[in-house]
Amino acid sequence: MTGTYDILSYFLELFSSGLTRGSIYALLALGYTLVYGVIGLINFAHGEVYMVGAFIGLIVAGIMSIMDYNILAILFVTLTFAMIYAAAYGFTIEKVAYKPLRQAPRLAALISAIGMSIFLREYVILAQTPDFVSFPALIPKPAFLLAIKNYLEPTEVLIILSSLTIMVLLLILIKRTKVGKAMRSISQDREMALLLGINVNKTISMTFMLGSVLAAFAAILIAAHIGQINYNIGFIVGIKSFTAAVLGGIGSIRGALLGGLVLGLTESFATGYFSSDYEDVFAFSILILILIFKPSGLIGTVATEKV
Amino acid sequence: MNLQIKDIHSYYGNIEALKGVSLELTAGEIVTLIGGNGAGKTTILMSISGLVPPKRGEIHFDGNPIHALSPDKIVSLGIVQVPEGRRIFPDFSVQENLDLGAYLRNDKPQIKTDLDYIFELFPILKERRYQSGGTLSGGEQQMLAISRGLMANPKLLLLDEPSLGLAPLIIQQIFQIIKKINQEQKTTIFLVEQNANLALQIANRGYVMENGLITMEDKATNLLGNEAVKSAYLGI
Ligand SMILES: Nc1ncnc2c1ncn2[C@@H]1O[C@H](COP(=O)(O)OP(=O)(O)OP(=O)(O)O)[C@@H](O)[C@H]1O
Ligand SMILES: [Mg+2]
Repeated sequence: MTGTYDILSYFLELFSSGLTRGSIYALLALGYTLVYGVIGLINFAHGEVYMVGAFIGLIVAGIMSIMDYNILAILFVTLTFAMIYAAAYGFTIEKVAYKPLRQAPRLAALISAIGMSIFLREYVILAQTPDFVSFPALIPKPAFLLAIKNYLEPTEVLIILSSLTIMVLLLILIKRTKVGKAMRSISQDREMALLLGINVNKTISMTFMLGSVLAAFAAILIAAHIGQINYNIGFIVGIKSFTAAVLGGIGSIRGALLGGLVLGLTESFATGYFSSDYEDVFAFSILILILIFKPSGLIGTVATEKV
Repeated sequence: MNLQIKDIHSYYGNIEALKGVSLELTAGEIVTLIGGNGAGKTTILMSISGLVPPKRGEIHFDGNPIHALSPDKIVSLGIVQVPEGRRIFPDFSVQENLDLGAYLRNDKPQIKTDLDYIFELFPILKERRYQSGGTLSGGEQQMLAISRGLMANPKLLLLDEPSLGLAPLIIQQIFQIIKKINQEQKTTIFLVEQNANLALQIANRGYVMENGLITMEDKATNLLGNEAVKSAYLGI
């Protein structure tokens, strides 16, 4: 009896931590996929926006903690600031690193992205610290979730639920709003979008900002959950989320969501049932297998079903 | 409505595709531009729309220079292009394609009126309303492309080879509707065509272009009777 219980609760634990990771990957994968949809480039500096978002959050949360605000207020303001700043970073990265190279060969933009990524990491090392710093536990544990804490970790449930909410909002934005329609039209035929009077430059900026907002949101949630950050946190998460985007089918929104969740769950179960030594190996094995056997990803046809 | 193109030179990299083109369109006209493959017809339209802005020369719309404006500003003035190859958004439904035509507009009641008008012109589009653009036939796509252009409420409609790849019967139908739009909506139409015969039949005036230059300009009826035009473009 106890044995069955243990097996079940261990499974649930892995499941919930897999979904948590998966939500984070999905939120970041959306950023990769949206940008790919509108300009056909992988924004390799995206992981750094996530990292910068976490540091902005740390500063805001730090100041507010000293001033003794309640935890929900701190979480709310921290998220808001981190998202706004990240949007500004996303906007600037596009203007500085990509826009001047829009007509240049893709390799130029790739190198520029890597340069931007290194710049942001070094900047945080210099302006902040090269060491790990602790991040306050901002996520509340409401009573109704404490009731099930033997099965599911309350913080994880909140991360999963809030990520899902954000994803649904994003899907509505993409499907229904003018800017969403502009993004989807650019991803299908940029020149035609121009001929209809769509301001392509503005839409591209908006896309970078939107992706960055999602990244900052993910960063705050996970930093508050894990409890520490450093300049390097965007790197591995960035590559894994990129993997998730490719896994789902780069350019596809639903693909990014699916890819993120599949990757998160796979990692969690693989490390839980096999060995945690190989945690990162699983993600990259998946990336390589996908690139070899199904470059278009789980959902689809890269060519037609972008954004 | 008045569009004046004065001696424009437009380039793709180092290739000079327009070598000093001048032409004028006045309100209510249907003007056609005919010429062989690679003559530069599409380039003229792209220069007007701001996608291939001329390096030299000027384009004036109602007296104001537009050759340095961005494409969205040009559309907002009422200059709307229906490009070669129709370029329907394949993942969008017919309705979504039409909605995008009205992207810059905010006058909801008028948009609705225009939509009704379009469904009257092309009842098939109403039937196919929720079908994705990619699944339409060539003729239906051309109807949708023109309709999407109309949804932008154009003063000047630039049509690039609407007959391309369509069956003769469909071409007839589409040309009749182009004429109807011109008469009912008072939309000025600049019609680029390789199907010179049909184009000249519905046009008031025509230009002939070769190799980046305008070589002839006349009333459509005169061009239809012109020996050089007959042998080069009418296949007579
Ligand atoms: N994107 C481009 N890059 C380089 N050269 C181009 C490009 N588009 C057109 N050209 C060249 O510019 C010239 C004019 O082309 P354009 O498309 O305007 O001709 P056209 O009269 O529309 O021909 P068609 O009837 O075949 O559509 C051609 O020599 C063509 O090869
Ligand atoms: Mg052409």
